[in-house]
Amino acid sequence: MSLASPFSIAIVSITMLAILGLPIGHAMIAGSILYLLLAGLDMGTAAEQILNGMYTNYIILAVPLFILAAELMNIGSMTDRLLRFCDAFVGRFRGGLAQVNILQSVIFAGMSGSAIADAAGTGKMMQNMMTKDGKYAPSFAAALTAATAVIGPIIPPSIPMVLFALVSDASIGYLFLGGVVPGLLMALSQMTIVGVAARRRNFPVEPPTPLRALPGITWRAFPTLMMPVVLLGGIYSGATTPTEAAALAAAYALVISVVLYRSVSFGEFYAAMLASARTSASIGMLIAGALVFNYVVTIENIPNDLRALLTAWELSPAGFLILVNILLLLLGCALEGTTILLIIVPVLIPTAQALGIDMVHFGVMVVVNIMIGLITPPYGLLLFIMTRIAEVPLRDLVRDVLPFLWAMFASLALITVFPDLVLWLPRLLGYEG
Amino acid sequence: MKQKIPRIGGWLYRRAENVLAAMLAAMFAAFLLQIAFRYLLNLPIGWTSEVSAILWIWMVLWGAALVLREEEEIRFDLVYAVAGARVRRVMFLVAAGALLALYAVSFPAVFDYVTFMKVESTAYLKIRLDWLFSIYLVFVVAVIARYLFLSWRALRGAAPGAGDPTQGRSGV
Repeated sequence: MSLASPFSIAIVSITMLAILGLPIGHAMIAGSILYLLLAGLDMGTAAEQILNGMYTNYIILAVPLFILAAELMNIGSMTDRLLRFCDAFVGRFRGGLAQVNILQSVIFAGMSGSAIADAAGTGKMMQNMMTKDGKYAPSFAAALTAATAVIGPIIPPSIPMVLFALVSDASIGYLFLGGVVPGLLMALSQMTIVGVAARRRNFPVEPPTPLRALPGITWRAFPTLMMPVVLLGGIYSGATTPTEAAALAAAYALVISVVLYRSVSFGEFYAAMLASARTSASIGMLIAGALVFNYVVTIENIPNDLRALLTAWELSPAGFLILVNILLLLLGCALEGTTILLIIVPVLIPTAQALGIDMVHFGVMVVVNIMIGLITPPYGLLLFIMTRIAEVPLRDLVRDVLPFLWAMFASLALITVFPDLVLWLPRLLGYEG
Repeated sequence: MKQKIPRIGGWLYRRAENVLAAMLAAMFAAFLLQIAFRYLLNLPIGWTSEVSAILWIWMVLWGAALVLREEEEIRFDLVYAVAGARVRRVMFLVAAGALLALYAVSFPAVFDYVTFMKVESTAYLKIRLDWLFSIYLVFVVAVIARYLFLSWRALRGAAPGAGDPTQGRSGV
């Protein structure tokens, strides 16, 4: 491939336009148009790829619906009740509120597919609870919220996994299942870190909830706790497609917030609808850019060239996975996650397939990488959001996030080396991979 | 007259927001209808998924063209955020120039593609695809207009904002 080929020029242009500050979706569309122009192809193809791609890829519709479900959960009092429920059970231990933060993230992860939505939804509440009366250092509380939010899209449902399914044709249902054990593993490692720090730094204990209050608190949180059951039950019983399950989850959140908890006004409902549509449009632009750019990449045969190159190196599957981890973690320090998933990952997939790597294993590993990227400086979206919510300097937040980051690296290493950690549950439920 | 233009603009912007929110609400409703028909009435219907797919295209392109603010779009902000106001202005003008040139050059071909699609219709509702895809033309024209306006402002000395990643709308 010569440096003056249309493809090289297009890549350089896309990179330059993105660095100059153009939205990434526009940068990719513009760069792809430039490619079509230089290669003497019909420039209408750009529109064709975007419009047909968006019209025929039915699974992308899960993205706006999962975003809507998360927004609807955040406006109701579901989070409130969930926090009280978690506090009743784990608040009594040393470092209780920190454990509450982790436990509520795990339960929330079973309903929401976006780490950003999780942090934005419960972040403020958790931060206030943890820093009231100087119980915990604000930077520690914020670091913990950022780290626990990361679990959200690893435990199903998961917007990044829907995007991976879109670029890889792997089954969403099995990808979701594959995330369960790694997600719990990460939560467990966080609980251990908090447990050790609680003793060493003498974290406060919450006043224990009397046993006779437990049934009442559980009852009030029960409809919320049933949400993961409705959602995942729908998918795995085969009753609904994952996309329909997303709609069902949004409907369920709406019904219990409006009818049962009576906590949502029309204004709030409209605001949630509009916010979700805005986010969908923003991600949609990235998907549009990726559709036309991936078309260019495919006609240039790049994924297969890469496959040929890497097979010539006689790379072992494990070696390839380690390389992918390093690449994605480095990219995660500088790029937004959706961009990595939609542009970089499709180029790697054919090589992974040629090496016989299971797509569910690969997908879960990729998503864990993307999620870690949300808390790695300099560009970590969750870090930015939590410095905003907690009003702490980024430097302090990064320092307190480090122990959790090491734990996540360790979890990532484990699931990279032992595919069974990912594949055990899907196989138990019928996955033949 | 001078105050009227921003006021009308603001009114139109809120209507564009209404339409965007309504499209998602309609997609949500279509899905619920589809589930209800299939499982409660045992009567699978196909047009709902067609409606959802159409609404998705319109929602994204309508939203990106008319509703999304500059700071809401996903970008690579590491370099942009540290650049000074003057450098940012130059960076913006170069990027906007490239975008305008490429979108404008490709517009005739895009127009041809969209109008050619009149030969096909959707499977259930028989909507002609040129109508369905016409939103793409709206999108391109709106993006060109927006970048012309922003470039004009940048040329007159107003540096574009430094960008705030927490305002970006990412779904991960």
